[in-house]
Amino acid sequence: MAIPFVGIIIGAIFGASLVLTGLTDPDRIIGSLRLKDFHALRTVIVSVLVAMLGVWLLGLGGADHPDIKPAAILTVLIGGALVGIGLGLTGFSPTTGLACAASGRIDALVAVIGMFFGAHVYILTYPAIVPRLEKVLNYGQVTLPQLTGTSQIIWIAPVFAAGLVALVLTRRGGSGYSEPRAKTENLGLSEGIAAAGSPAIATDGLHAVSVFRLWKNSLFVVLVLALVCLQAIFWLTNTGQVQISRDDVSSISTGQTAAEEQPSGSATMPTRGPVLPALLPFDLTLKQITLVIHAVNTILVFACVLYCLTAYMALSVSIRNRLGGLTHISRTFYFSVLALILLLPWQIVLAPVGVGTIYTPHEMAKSCTTLAAGTYETVLFYLRFSGIWAAVCLVLTIAQWRSFRWTKTVLLKYEDTGRHIG
Amino acid sequence: MNEPGIQTPPVPWWTAGILLGLVQVLAIALATSLDVSDQFVAVDARTLEHLAPEYAQNHPLISDEEHNRFGYASWVGVGLVLGACLAALHLRMWKVRAATIWWQQSHEGPVVLRLIAGFGGGVCLLLGAGLAGGGITGQFSTGWAQLSLSAVPFTAAVFGAGMLVAYLVYPKAPPRNKRGP
Repeated sequence: MAIPFVGIIIGAIFGASLVLTGLTDPDRIIGSLRLKDFHALRTVIVSVLVAMLGVWLLGLGGADHPDIKPAAILTVLIGGALVGIGLGLTGFSPTTGLACAASGRIDALVAVIGMFFGAHVYILTYPAIVPRLEKVLNYGQVTLPQLTGTSQIIWIAPVFAAGLVALVLTRRGGSGYSEPRAKTENLGLSEGIAAAGSPAIATDGLHAVSVFRLWKNSLFVVLVLALVCLQAIFWLTNTGQVQISRDDVSSISTGQTAAEEQPSGSATMPTRGPVLPALLPFDLTLKQITLVIHAVNTILVFACVLYCLTAYMALSVSIRNRLGGLTHISRTFYFSVLALILLLPWQIVLAPVGVGTIYTPHEMAKSCTTLAAGTYETVLFYLRFSGIWAAVCLVLTIAQWRSFRWTKTVLLKYEDTGRHIG
Repeated sequence: MNEPGIQTPPVPWWTAGILLGLVQVLAIALATSLDVSDQFVAVDARTLEHLAPEYAQNHPLISDEEHNRFGYASWVGVGLVLGACLAALHLRMWKVRAATIWWQQSHEGPVVLRLIAGFGGGVCLLLGAGLAGGGITGQFSTGWAQLSLSAVPFTAAVFGAGMLVAYLVYPKAPPRNKRGP
């Protein structure tokens, strides 16, 4: 009973996500293949990068269910080419074809019927062709790290870098949202508004909007990267990838060694060993990651304060120039302040009442090396290091989503004004 | 069935990417990947088992239980259709359409040509997914997420063939006002 329920729920979330993300629009897929509209391509790149990082983290915690396909190179190449032909002809993949048909596309419905026919052709031709082809260059169910005998992180880093390069390269091709933005920035709208003689809308406001938007988005990216880094450090430490000795914990907190500190309460506390075997190809010590944690904490505080200020300035410009979208930008501001509150290390001044996302190296090392007394303590431990972190991520995402709505509202307003004038 | 313009997706590309990535991570954490292309083969295999049991018994693919059973992926397919339909209705994006903007720009013939192309494309899609052992979701998205070796040749083949076919079938790009939001 659990399998149908989980399958339907996951499938429903996936189907709704496909519609929400615009991947059920074949025009977007064709636009990406023709290198004219990169919305679908950029979406897919980001999803792959996020999924890759997520699967890696799941693997560290031993919570993944890998589904590695066999690497029979010849059949994969032929099959991939056929999938490419189908994708180029229709703008659907098997998955998006189903979702498109469910959202009213007759051509997708016909394509789904074609897919059943294709499956039938595959079954009929299978005995004569496929087993022979599958034997050619068949490496089996293998991953790139397994094939090369290296750690997963060695492959994740270059793939992630390649994805980021692809995102930068496709920046100018238009993501579907670039058109009104381009119109505004290329003076088309500004001129229209100026020609309309609308004194309520200042063209300076437009320039301010584009500056604030750029800074706000850049700061958001910095915040997300820093947060991911902070969480990755926690999981690396928690899974035993970072070498921590009792001396390390003591020296960071007090500047003394454990021997000098004896007898202390912590020395008698039960400790736990590494959860997973060493996955990193190099040794990582607490002293090394201490520097990283301090740097990341500093970046987080500065970036979040600047993010709040940028949101406040954007709100101010919106009010003064009557640009519209006040609901969205107001919420952006309040959510960004909330994110800052959740981020700050309140445990330093309000311990044990308050706690924040930012942690000190000593705090993390001590918690990760101490054996939790029971389920309640374990839950509290993960809530402290991952729960608050997830809450900050959520709040920041909502803030950024609201700011996006604000930008869109402002630009649409200008576009409408320009059209009315025209 | 008029197409006023390409619809603006409800969320920007980066939010969309993060959302889809997290859904994939959730799927891998809870059960396995989101590939539903196997289920087309499973449905056909089950049909053949009923229509021609002797042929099915001797067939190396159909007789293999792994390829003809309804399981988790079937329910994912059902959920996918339900989720997409409900989301499209909720977002007021549910609309009967038969052609695309790109198709209308490049082909002036009747819409039935688009349907024929759709059928042919569907045949290629599933034949290819069967041969490759997975479709875009199974081989490309989940493949790269797990850094599987098969994702590398699959990506090269899909994008190479896809770009070439799209260039040949859709030579004329729609004007910006139709392409944009």
